[in-house]
Amino acid sequence: MAQKNRFEIRDITRIAVFAAIIAVLGIPAAIPAFGGAVPITAQTLGVMLAGAVLGSWRGAAAVAVFEVLVFIGLPLLSGGRGGAGVFAGPTGGYLIGWILGAFVIGAIVRGNIRKPSWWRIALGSFVGGVLVVYAIGIPVLSLVTKLPLGQAALSNVVFLPGDIIKVIVTTLITLALYRAYPAAFGRKPAVTAKASVSAR
Amino acid sequence: MTSASEISFDGVSVDFGDRPALSDVSVTLTERRIGVIGSNGSGKSTFARMLNALVLPTTGQVRVHGLDPAGQAKQLRRRVGFIFSNPDAQIVMPTVAEDVAFSLRGRGLSRTEVAERVAATLEAYGLTAHSAAPAHGLSGGQKQLLALSTVLIGEPDLVVADEPTAMLDAANTRRIGNHLLDELTQQLVLVTHDLNLARRCDVVLRFEEGRLVERGEPDFVVDRYEREHA
Amino acid sequence: MIALYREGTSPLHRAPAGAKVLVFMIVALAITLSAENPFTVPVAAALAIIGYLAAGLGLGTLLAQISVVRWVIVIMLVTQLIFLPPLAAATNTGRVLAVIVLAALITLTTRIPALLDATEHALGPLRRFGVDPARVGLLLGMTITTIPVIMGIATRIRDAQRARGVPVRPATFVVPLLILSLKHSDELADALAARGID
Ligand SMILES: Nc1ncnc2c1ncn2[C@@H]1O[C@H](COP(=O)(O)OP(=O)(O)OP(=O)(O)O)[C@@H](O)[C@H]1O
Ligand SMILES: [Mg+2]
Repeated sequence: MAQKNRFEIRDITRIAVFAAIIAVLGIPAAIPAFGGAVPITAQTLGVMLAGAVLGSWRGAAAVAVFEVLVFIGLPLLSGGRGGAGVFAGPTGGYLIGWILGAFVIGAIVRGNIRKPSWWRIALGSFVGGVLVVYAIGIPVLSLVTKLPLGQAALSNVVFLPGDIIKVIVTTLITLALYRAYPAAFGRKPAVTAKASVSAR
Repeated sequence: MTSASEISFDGVSVDFGDRPALSDVSVTLTERRIGVIGSNGSGKSTFARMLNALVLPTTGQVRVHGLDPAGQAKQLRRRVGFIFSNPDAQIVMPTVAEDVAFSLRGRGLSRTEVAERVAATLEAYGLTAHSAAPAHGLSGGQKQLLALSTVLIGEPDLVVADEPTAMLDAANTRRIGNHLLDELTQQLVLVTHDLNLARRCDVVLRFEEGRLVERGEPDFVVDRYEREHA
Repeated sequence: MIALYREGTSPLHRAPAGAKVLVFMIVALAITLSAENPFTVPVAAALAIIGYLAAGLGLGTLLAQISVVRWVIVIMLVTQLIFLPPLAAATNTGRVLAVIVLAALITLTTRIPALLDATEHALGPLRRFGVDPARVGLLLGMTITTIPVIMGIATRIRDAQRARGVPVRPATFVVPLLILSLKHSDELADALAARGID
């Protein structure tokens, strides 16, 4: 019984920590520039990683927690934006898409398997992190701005190269993480007693 | 016979898969200040974590103040406070006062009762001026004081501290050490690589390679440990 | 934590957080639904100006809020001007802008803890679907606490990699960030369990 409860707490702290990672990836000073040629923010990388590493439910929860904090006014969205206004703006749909996207990524990448394969990660982050996000973001964009749907979709094309790069980076990072720290993917971390030593 | 402040291990082993972290530990302790020393990886943390049901025995039996960690983890954690070496990992809530109040969650206290107890505890640890400050903005020594106050506000019967001074400077080590050893009235289990702190306990246990190799009068156990590692 | 809150004692500052969010949602819905009405934008703009004055924030703050989202406005205007007549493009943009600055009014006049409490409170009805509001509150508070810790980990990794002279790349930076952060999460879980939370 004690063991089962500890897993629940472990889930909660992982969700909180991943939400914080997504926030930190939005602070430009914290993260080295990504190429710079394409409009790319590391925050959506965090969303893709949340789904791939934590799985569907916990991944979506991490994104949702991050967004609740943005909603209540912490300036955590890349560029220091925050508050209920960003959800009311034209890009609000993309934010909702992130939550569902992380869920879909987790479902495709993790499924019932323990070891993520490269094609599952790539497919999952493309379907969840790009298609699902666009599928919600573009109609909302069109609704808010009163732009016809097709034109709203067209104005979205500039983001595609950056999003493809993020799919590739997510795949590389997830595979590297599995090699370096497989415990990240299990519900049960192998070593906790030594953590304080290496986390110094 | 189990007295109120008795810790007993009976044939306890812990296996994390490959090799045992503790093997066949049997000991009964009633002293107030119990020091625990030993080399890296010898099993000290595993021993300490068992006192709060963070690790359960693979075989054997543990009793802490009459409670069985395997079946009574919840009651046990109310009675046993735990302090880790890394103060950063112990802070849960945004501000100092909120973090201290967090320890009283689920105890059925009213808001005013919680506020009063938090204020009194912060006063006792000299943190009143920081009560509304972000907890992560405190210095390392202050963070460890905060960790102590979050533990002691719950009025535990036993305080377990796993290398609480490992990340502190000399002045803060003295401050935290004095507090644990001289000012607490509760029973204390202090895991430490600081042999001067171990010498000030009432009894010292020494672990090596998962075995309890010595238990006795502090100066005697510490002297021998120092000689062997000279 | 850097919040957007501005100190104040106006009626808007003193109003309960939950009520403010509720009123905002109704107003935002009304503005969105009456998009065709020519009076919507002037009325919404007047509402925003009155709101900022009533909160004692002044028109300077209102302009500052508009300037925060200036690129949103520019992108919206430009993309719409390609496809729509100028007047329609301007009213659409004005409507969205009004909703954004009204939303910011909540953030500017409400402390984060009050909004956290209101969130926890609002989740009460979801209890019957298995949502535990106290647990959600814990999750939100813990995330706010954790952000500076993760920030510190990120800084240390970057410094260490710079010191070793290796170029800082996404993979070499994010992988150790994830590992150290997840280890921190396990330590936090132990600390929570030790404090009797389960
Ligand atoms: N959760 C765990 N999973 C796997 N192995 C573990 C775990 N916890 C501890 N161990 C192993 O058990 C042994 C004893 O570890 P423990 O942390 O108790 O030592 P310690 O005496 O506290 O060492 P230190 O002085 O370095 O803190 C070590 O070999 C360690 O690697
Ligand atoms: Mg140890």
